[in-house]
Amino acid sequence: MPEWVKGSIDGIPAKAPYGTSLLHAARALGIDIPTLCHHEGLPPDGNCRLCLCEVSGKLVASCMFPLRDQGFAALTGSAKVMDARGFVLYLMLNRAPKSPRLIRLAHDYEAYGARVDPRFPLDRDGCVRCGRCARVCSLQASEAIDLAGRGPGRAVLAPFGRPPEDCLGCLACALNCPTGRIAFQDDGATRRVWDRDFALVPCPACGERRFTKEQLGHLGVESALCPECRRRAMAREILAADSVISYKARG
Amino acid sequence: MTRFQHADGLLGHIKGLKGAPQPKRTLWVCGGPGCLAAGGAKVHEALLNEAEKAGLLGNPGYRISLTGCLGLCERGPLAEIRPEGHFYQNVGPGDAPGLVGEALLEGRIVEGLIKDPKNPTKDSLAFYKPQERRVMRRLGLIDPESLDDYLLHGGYEALALALGSLGPGETARRVEESGLRGRGGGGFPAGRKWRALRESVGRPRYVLANGDEGDPGAFMNRALMEGDPFSIIEGMTLGAFAMGAEAGFIYVRHEYPLSVMRLSKAIRLAKDRGLLGEGILGSDVGFELGIVEGGGAFVCGESTALMASIEGREGTPRVKYVRSTEAGLWERPTLLQNVESWANVPPIVLNGPEWFRSLGSKDNPGTKVFSLVGQVRDTGLVELPLGSRISDLVELAGGGVAKGRALKAVQTGGPSGGCLPASLMSLPLDFDSLTKAGAMMGSGGLIVMDDLSCVVDVARYFTAFLTEESCGKCVPCRDGLPLLLGVLTGLTKGEGRAGDTGLLVREAERLKATALCGLGQSAANPILSTVRYFQEEYLEHERGFCRSGRCQGLFVPAIDPGACTGCGLCRKACPAAAIEGKAKKAHKVLPGKCVSCGSCLPKCRFLALKPAPRADTVKADA
Ligand SMILES: Cc1cc2nc3c(=O)[nH]c(=O)nc-3n(C[C@H](O)[C@H](O)[C@H](O)COP(=O)(O)O)c2cc1C
Ligand code: FES
Repeated sequence: MPEWVKGSIDGIPAKAPYGTSLLHAARALGIDIPTLCHHEGLPPDGNCRLCLCEVSGKLVASCMFPLRDQGFAALTGSAKVMDARGFVLYLMLNRAPKSPRLIRLAHDYEAYGARVDPRFPLDRDGCVRCGRCARVCSLQASEAIDLAGRGPGRAVLAPFGRPPEDCLGCLACALNCPTGRIAFQDDGATRRVWDRDFALVPCPACGERRFTKEQLGHLGVESALCPECRRRAMAREILAADSVISYKARG
Repeated sequence: MTRFQHADGLLGHIKGLKGAPQPKRTLWVCGGPGCLAAGGAKVHEALLNEAEKAGLLGNPGYRISLTGCLGLCERGPLAEIRPEGHFYQNVGPGDAPGLVGEALLEGRIVEGLIKDPKNPTKDSLAFYKPQERRVMRRLGLIDPESLDDYLLHGGYEALALALGSLGPGETARRVEESGLRGRGGGGFPAGRKWRALRESVGRPRYVLANGDEGDPGAFMNRALMEGDPFSIIEGMTLGAFAMGAEAGFIYVRHEYPLSVMRLSKAIRLAKDRGLLGEGILGSDVGFELGIVEGGGAFVCGESTALMASIEGREGTPRVKYVRSTEAGLWERPTLLQNVESWANVPPIVLNGPEWFRSLGSKDNPGTKVFSLVGQVRDTGLVELPLGSRISDLVELAGGGVAKGRALKAVQTGGPSGGCLPASLMSLPLDFDSLTKAGAMMGSGGLIVMDDLSCVVDVARYFTAFLTEESCGKCVPCRDGLPLLLGVLTGLTKGEGRAGDTGLLVREAERLKATALCGLGQSAANPILSTVRYFQEEYLEHERGFCRSGRCQGLFVPAIDPGACTGCGLCRKACPAAAIEGKAKKAHKVLPGKCVSCGSCLPKCRFLALKPAPRADTVKADA
């Protein structure tokens, strides 16, 4: 197995460790490829098809396509690529017509001008079913939600359609949703997401309520500093260590 | 039962079987899917009762047994008496006394039960004439649950040869040089896959059999799993030996409990005799084989979804830029073949690649089992050399279009296959010709469509099926198919618009280019192939006319007074009393009353009724 593969992206010479995704190799060259279902912190899934690029005349999902062949020649903005992205954007817009991110992208790909066909019988619920919420949930928290069902009826659901028992209220799903579809409320005392109310536990330093009891329970602690206080505490520690070093140096 | 400790032990046993006295006569009752559905099990039961009455049960001279699919399902339940070969069609439990008393005991033709007593055998029927039954050769000759029956008809001779003298390299070479191509879908050369698995790194290696058979109406894989389960198991064992795989699974469609039962029993029997499991035939070769019941979805037949399903995850396809032979089941090197592909392996290993290539064409050697259904006189399973013409299948074997109607098209390759027009009936049935013509071999399903079938409606039907069966993972397939379906449904309901045909083609091409797996990539075929050959009919639908009289409300039947004999069948079939006429005088349709339901159209035996545009709904040409 060669360690490096050499080829070109959009005619620019490119070199990448064997098996690097085309997306990463392109980004390393400063070439931007739009993505939606992809997130650096999550296992790739290749379902939205927005990142399609052309390799040897074929469209491939660049977020998952591994560069393995010497002399690869990838195109990230050919006519075929632009048309394909326009098509998937058009379809996604029919699911989430109000998503600012999709609207912005659609301007680049001339998809928004496409007429929304009334014979297009889809649930325009704002969800593009990319599954980022479910992936982040199963990775970080608890598999409280998942994609279920087949065909056009596939949707993100909690088990049995009830408020998910395993939900920690951590909001990883909502904050990771590319279309902002997952609604939540947070009034500083309680948080409401997936039809469940979560009591928020105060930060022992400043009293700000940022974590749910379930979240802390998942981490095995009873309380935790809020991110700001934690940062402050850490900075203080570093400074203290620094002063020790400088004191020694002086002596 | 003792285990065979050596290949010679097995061959000795086979010799013993062949030398042993055979029953004087056997009555084989078809236990294939079609005949069972038509009551074959009841017939079998009645025959056993009758034999008991006659004191024949336990008499080794006479045997009554179920066997695998005999093929001519249209005329089932079927039965065949051997060695005479007298072939009985449409038998019922009431025929048992004759079949036992005369046919089984005396070998006589039972009067009244065979239409043409001068030609009483299967081979004299037009249905079987063009056929070469290789894969199905034992169906009709063996009890699928009997290992000795299998051995008596050439079974496990290939394994004995491979383990005895060929070795893994030569075994693999024979398969590679045979040119065998996958029988489950794409026709990928088996040899290339085998080589990749042999050269793969990582252990264990797996070999898998695809028995998911998701195409509606197809049942050739089922017939094989239920009629000759050992042939699949022996093929996989040979593959495992040649490629150094230590374990395998047969993935069987959820709706096939009998297949699961037969395969399980065959695996148990093979294991008991040392033909499977550890130390096969006393050697140090081992192969463990298990059965997995399918997830119950069409897409589970797709290779990556199938593997996910075996792993216990949801059966959805994965993006596949790395071949399964490198990282498949549990990320280990894996080779998947259709069950019919596996059943081809033992005779190739035994008889060599030249024998296999003696039928079929250069790039498409061997035979293929087709399931012939639709508007054709004789439906059933037909095995033909690849490269035979479509007309050999439809006209010769199938006896042409049913009820004397005109052939409009054949649909091949399952739901994501394509429609080919009557003008292409001399096209060779092989992987490449079908693909080039915009259709597909798929698993070998072929549906015959007459002039009353509407191609737009057919495209709508398959698109609806695929929309339902899409796993819903990727955007183009999940959300693109409903778009196409919406437009097609509009066309069949008279809500079509000018330009719809172009829109369909454009979006279908995009779906094909962008979808994640084979389902979405091929889901455009029904639309693209029908537009390719029947564009005129699409344009007519845009204007609100269905020339096939299938789409309700888009036509009015017109009677050709020259051809009408005044038989009155159409008048009687009309629910709206919209046809009038005196007996033996040409009839007339009253357009004001006609609800355009089409009930009358198939009734006319003189082809005097033709759908015509409705004056009130036809839109002006744009
Ligand atoms: C949606 C879909 C459904 C499939 N269903 C089947 C099936 O039911 N049986 C089958 O053998 N192959 C099926 N295939 C093809 C398999 O993915 C695979 O190519 C095949 O099993 C390989 O075996 P072969 O080379 O012997 O044909 C299907 C493919 C797709 C895309
Ligand atoms: S970002 Fe690659 S398919 Fe979604």
